[in-house]
Amino acid sequence: MLSEAAIKEIEAIRAKYPTARAALLPAIYVAQREFGWLSPEAYEAVSDILGIPKAIARGVATFYAMYRHRPMGRNVVQLCTNVSCMILGAEKLVDFLKNRYSLEPGGTDPDGRFSLVIMECIGACGTAPAMLVNEDFYENLTEKYIEEILGKYK
Amino acid sequence: MITVNINGKDIKLEKAVTVLEAARSAGIKIPTLCYHEQLEKYGGCRLCLVEVEKMPRLQTACTLISADGMVIRTETEQLAEVRRGILEFLLINHPLDCPYCDKAGECELQDLVEKYGTAKGRYMEKKRTVPESLEDPVIVRNMGRCIACTRCVRMCEGVQGASAIAVINRGGHSHIEPFSGGRYDCEYCGNCVSVCPVGAIMSRLHRHSYRPWQVKENIETVCPYCGVGCTVILQVRDDVIKRVVPRIGSVVNNGMLCSRGRFGYEFVGNRERLTSPLIKKNGVFEEATWEEAISLVANRLKEARDGYGGAAVAGIASPRCTNEDNFIFQKFMRVVLGTNNIDSSARTGYAGAQSFIENISGQGATANIIAGLSNSDVVLVTGGDPTTVNPILGLQIRSCAGKGGNILTVGHVRGLRHFNPAELRPALFTETLLLEGILHSLKNTKELPGSNPKFEAKIRELNISPEDIIKTCGVSEEDFNGFLKKLSGAANPAIVIGKELIQSIGSSYKLFLVLAINYLINGRVYLLSERANEQGLIDMGCTPDSLPGCRPVAYAEFRRRYETAWKTTIPDKPGLSIFEMMDSAGSGALKAMYIMGENPLFNLPESHASEAALKNLDFLVVQDIFLTETGKLADVVLPSLGWSEKEGTFTNMERRIQRLRKAVYRDGMEDWKILSEVAKNMGVKFNYADAEEIFNEISRVSPLHRDLTYNEIEKGNALYPYKGEPLRGVMEDIVSHKGDRLDAGDKLYLGLERPLFHSGTLSTKASALLHIYPEAVATISPSTAEKFSLKPGDKVRVTTGAGSLSLPVAVDDAVHGSLVMITNNFEGKGAFALIKYIADPVTKAPVIEGIEVHLEKDGTV
Amino acid sequence: MEKVLLKNIDNPDSADIGEYRKAGGYRSLPKALELEPKAIIEEVKKAGLRGRGGAGFPVAMKWTFASSDPKFPKYLLCNADEGEPGTFKDRPILEKNPHLLIEGMIISGYTLKAEYGYIYLRGEYPEAKHILDKAIAQAYENGFLGEKIAGKDVRFHLAVHQGAGAYICGEETALIESLEGDRGQPRIKPPFPVNVGAFSMPTVVNNVETLSNLPYIIEIGGEAYSKIGSPDCPGPKLYCVSGHIEKPGVYELPMGTILKDIIYTHCGGIKGGGKLKAVIPGGISTPVLPPDKLDCPMDFVNMPKHGSMLGSGAVIVMDESVCLVKVCYRALKFFEHESCGKCTPCREGTGWLRSILGRIEDGSGVDGDIELLLSVSGNIMGKTFCPLGDGAASVVQNFIKHFRPEFEDHIKNAGCSLKN
Ligand SMILES: Cc1cc2nc3c(=O)[nH]c(=O)nc-3n(C[C@H](O)[C@H](O)[C@H](O)COP(=O)(O)O)c2cc1C
Ligand code: SF4
Ligand code: FES
Repeated sequence: MLSEAAIKEIEAIRAKYPTARAALLPAIYVAQREFGWLSPEAYEAVSDILGIPKAIARGVATFYAMYRHRPMGRNVVQLCTNVSCMILGAEKLVDFLKNRYSLEPGGTDPDGRFSLVIMECIGACGTAPAMLVNEDFYENLTEKYIEEILGKYK
Repeated sequence: MITVNINGKDIKLEKAVTVLEAARSAGIKIPTLCYHEQLEKYGGCRLCLVEVEKMPRLQTACTLISADGMVIRTETEQLAEVRRGILEFLLINHPLDCPYCDKAGECELQDLVEKYGTAKGRYMEKKRTVPESLEDPVIVRNMGRCIACTRCVRMCEGVQGASAIAVINRGGHSHIEPFSGGRYDCEYCGNCVSVCPVGAIMSRLHRHSYRPWQVKENIETVCPYCGVGCTVILQVRDDVIKRVVPRIGSVVNNGMLCSRGRFGYEFVGNRERLTSPLIKKNGVFEEATWEEAISLVANRLKEARDGYGGAAVAGIASPRCTNEDNFIFQKFMRVVLGTNNIDSSARTGYAGAQSFIENISGQGATANIIAGLSNSDVVLVTGGDPTTVNPILGLQIRSCAGKGGNILTVGHVRGLRHFNPAELRPALFTETLLLEGILHSLKNTKELPGSNPKFEAKIRELNISPEDIIKTCGVSEEDFNGFLKKLSGAANPAIVIGKELIQSIGSSYKLFLVLAINYLINGRVYLLSERANEQGLIDMGCTPDSLPGCRPVAYAEFRRRYETAWKTTIPDKPGLSIFEMMDSAGSGALKAMYIMGENPLFNLPESHASEAALKNLDFLVVQDIFLTETGKLADVVLPSLGWSEKEGTFTNMERRIQRLRKAVYRDGMEDWKILSEVAKNMGVKFNYADAEEIFNEISRVSPLHRDLTYNEIEKGNALYPYKGEPLRGVMEDIVSHKGDRLDAGDKLYLGLERPLFHSGTLSTKASALLHIYPEAVATISPSTAEKFSLKPGDKVRVTTGAGSLSLPVAVDDAVHGSLVMITNNFEGKGAFALIKYIADPVTKAPVIEGIEVHLEKDGTV
Repeated sequence: MEKVLLKNIDNPDSADIGEYRKAGGYRSLPKALELEPKAIIEEVKKAGLRGRGGAGFPVAMKWTFASSDPKFPKYLLCNADEGEPGTFKDRPILEKNPHLLIEGMIISGYTLKAEYGYIYLRGEYPEAKHILDKAIAQAYENGFLGEKIAGKDVRFHLAVHQGAGAYICGEETALIESLEGDRGQPRIKPPFPVNVGAFSMPTVVNNVETLSNLPYIIEIGGEAYSKIGSPDCPGPKLYCVSGHIEKPGVYELPMGTILKDIIYTHCGGIKGGGKLKAVIPGGISTPVLPPDKLDCPMDFVNMPKHGSMLGSGAVIVMDESVCLVKVCYRALKFFEHESCGKCTPCREGTGWLRSILGRIEDGSGVDGDIELLLSVSGNIMGKTFCPLGDGAASVVQNFIKHFRPEFEDHIKNAGCSLKN
């Protein structure tokens, strides 16, 4: 079940569009936040409130890479490995995350503290390598800097 | 008029169609995969790429709209190369399992590879594999074979409107899944199966049991399930129906089918089918020869007739039998047994409602073209969910919404909830008030057209204050006004009337209101029909008060016409209705009964009383394809040939007369043939060589069917009244009955669920439908579930003043909080056992509303 | 050159409406509202403004199409999907100068008689989402958005629509699908969005940078604007430079600045004084250039003459340490990941190309693989539904065209000689 606040939020989003269907992507974000990931219940909740068949909601959501299609760690590390980041050492950082934090690309560490998602370009090429942790940008990454950053997330 | 040039050939076009359509119209084939004539254009597979002069890039013929002077080439060296390349792409991840795949032989990919040649196998990597999904009992998905053409999804979402499957993921990982990822939670129309060009989505019913080329015969006939009368093609191998498919271009259903039509055919070959006549001796059935059984029936009927007169015998006809069967049935009753005691289960709603409507709005008022619904600008839906009762008609309503039409519903209609309906959900037992409110408000904005003064006088009598009404009904003023605005603004409206309205308290008055609304907005009426030949049996005269062609038996001049034709005399008084028959049987006035293809024990209220009544008869003969609960009470049971085993005609709710064809051979006799044999044994000669001869007689005697022949019918547009004469111009007084308004309180009431997957009990003999919907359940709302601490699957005892049933619980938030919904499809669990016979005095339809239900948890089942 | 797009962005509060106004913002808007919409289109035409999203389509022409369609309501969509790898030029506008974009959109909306606008923002820019939401709220509070803009009978409503990680949603019809709540797959054209776009209504899709030019065009007039940069394709242009470069970042320079100058003059040359090996000049989908081909004016007209494209103006600089087979492989991995799956050649072909490149890169390539790469990309090129597939094929073709020996070497030596 969605919280009262989430329902209000989705209704407010709905009002910004001429059709309920257009509110689907933002509503999925809300549901994902509420349920932690896009569980069947999350889809059902969105489907109910917007009147969109749930299979459709799921089909739409799975098209997009940034939705959480399975349960994730408490924090999501989204590291870019596209060309600009790659040529400035992003791959080594992937290895580092693996060795230092037991974080495999697409995986979650044993404590459920972090999940690692390999990203296509995140628009920080001028300050490569770069990553997002949840919604925060971190740029000009080095191994040491990563340790420092991740220390802040519990 | 434009001209395009394709491969050097000038093609003239009425309007600018796609290049593909232009080419096809000239017999030029362009390879396609994602294109499908029933679906929205897609342009994804790229096989139809063609060269167009003055266009630098290759163009997809399926999407490019032709323009005057366009010069197109569809077969060049370059294009062959391109198509080879595309097919290579399609094959790199496609399993090469044609020898194992059921689709082989009708696979569009296989055929194209055959034509354009395989590539040399340059793909060295491992193929992407997706395991076959056998989680669903009816549909098997083999996503390794999917070519992502999305035909299935475009069908499911865009045409069927079920939106139960979707493409998930993207790019090379795209494939098709129902919501659960495994089992479907859908309408099981199987239309996705129809359009899949490869072996990715297939029916499990015929899995590995035959190859397409082994089908020698494709027999075109009519679906046995509901009043829509869809065209179906039966694919038969060795007298077994292997598959049922629709035909694109057929008038009624144009390439579409519902679950019952597509997957419900297995009852034909069910092992429980009756094989030989049965005679009850000392309370047990023994198999008998036809001679023995028929002479017994003839003798006993003669005894009853001669001993007590024709009034002491009665017959029940069948909406699942053909026009020819039903015609002979009533002729047998009238001519051989001398009685008008003929009726059918149509009396439980359809027949009465139709006479009521026709009295006000004129003969044939409900005979409207189903496909026309989609062109309406407003469709008002009352009395339940058309998408489950008459699914293909339901599609037309969805399509109307898709074209921008407004769907208005009185009550919540589940099957339309995704089609932006304007809903008014009146509180329990306030539907009448709401309809009055709508009519009242319409009256204020619309002028009475003056064409039906008698009706208008009645309409003028209505006087209420709408403000209170809105409050009492519990609908918001905003919703009410919005609803009304759409309704009164309609230019081409239609009104759909379902059985929930006809079987409710004060149904004749509600019908009056709905018709008045319709009169004011000048709409068309669609009366939903649950059985395949419900209309036909009425037209054939299987009613106590009318002769074939809907000629009232009470009118001497009409009677005389038949008396002359049949060289007999027909009783001038209307006979007993089906309910009166039960009463008379119970009281002992009725002595013998002939029941053809009907299970009144199941389909009439108060099953217990019906049972006692039938047991009280001196003689009961039941003619059927299965040994039903009613059959078990009979003295003689006669097995008949069923749908797909005989020739004949059905008349659908549009009054379209269509040919039913024999597809499989089975030992035995048609219903009409058995009746003729009995007649012969009673000394009356019914000499018909085949169904066509009977039909020829029908078209001779019935003014509705005048001059109609099987040949005419073949052409597909045999619509009632066929060259007919207008019928009685006399309008009888408009009498309707309002009934008392119940106060809902916090009690629970019985509701009748009409599931999409079942129709009568016949569908429960089809294993696929049984897999989808396996048992009778009591469906309740989440709030009721909570109140009684029930969860899905728990057993409950549902008790009413008439009876009691123990059922598993299902929970559904579409169910009204005060209702307990029960289906009437499963033997031994019939909902009518819980219903006392209280009828609307005008339509005689039983009232299945306001029946209090007592619910308790049940550990005993 | 005076900074137009990146004006004031060193001010830490540049995103605030007060700061924006202090620096002269929201002055073009009332001026524009005094003009007839037709007159504004005329100015834009005189300015010679071309879309900055990649295709360089003349803005005035697109606007004329949409304006002359009689259907209402019309929609204005800002393409802030910025998905082309190497591109980060729109981000500073979105994060540091949101009101410039908003002012540009209001002017455009007024010109088009579009009363609704959406900024389609990529999901990867969560910070920009918050900043834009706040800026939009401020614009409403200040009467620049809403029912009676600047007291006039003009209405314009604006909202941010957040994407969720799909490069293809930068393609305008896919963007519309995604806005409408669907899978982001491109639509059949025609009909074009200017006639049948968002919610089936006439719709204009323009890039962030494109729309951000509007206030300036109104301010100085189309004539004066057309004097900036290349005559065929004038105006200020944001170039974003990344990779092995001394001073990476976003540079606002006149359109048509020579690529070599961007790298060596403005950005301080190759990082650490290294040796240049290759440059991708306009984002990963544009053809790679070898060091001897950098004398090209970076604009929409001249780049094709020099064997590449301006694209999004995203310059990726690679020095000698870079394995180009690997870059090519990584690029194809991107295209495979981002292929929407609608059309056969792209859906199946990108993955196939990636797998061939993968085996060459890791040393298991075989003789004939280069020909196979060329053949498979040839089977994609020109046959796909949208330009994404062509982009993928062209990457492979151009890397091989300019750096074939490196591929051959990988196959011959079973791997990369640069690997340490
Ligand atoms: C695969 C693909 C991706 C694209 N991505 C973007 C993008 O991220 N941002 C953008 O502004 N335009 C992008 N475009 C271009 C848009 O389709 C469209 O041309 C542009 O938004 C028009 O705006 P403009 O005329 O202002 O450039 C892309 C095009 C394609 C084919
Ligand atoms: S080229 Fe085809 S598959 Fe690729 S992104 Fe475009 S439409 Fe989708
Ligand atoms: S049939 Fe035209 S692209 Fe598939």
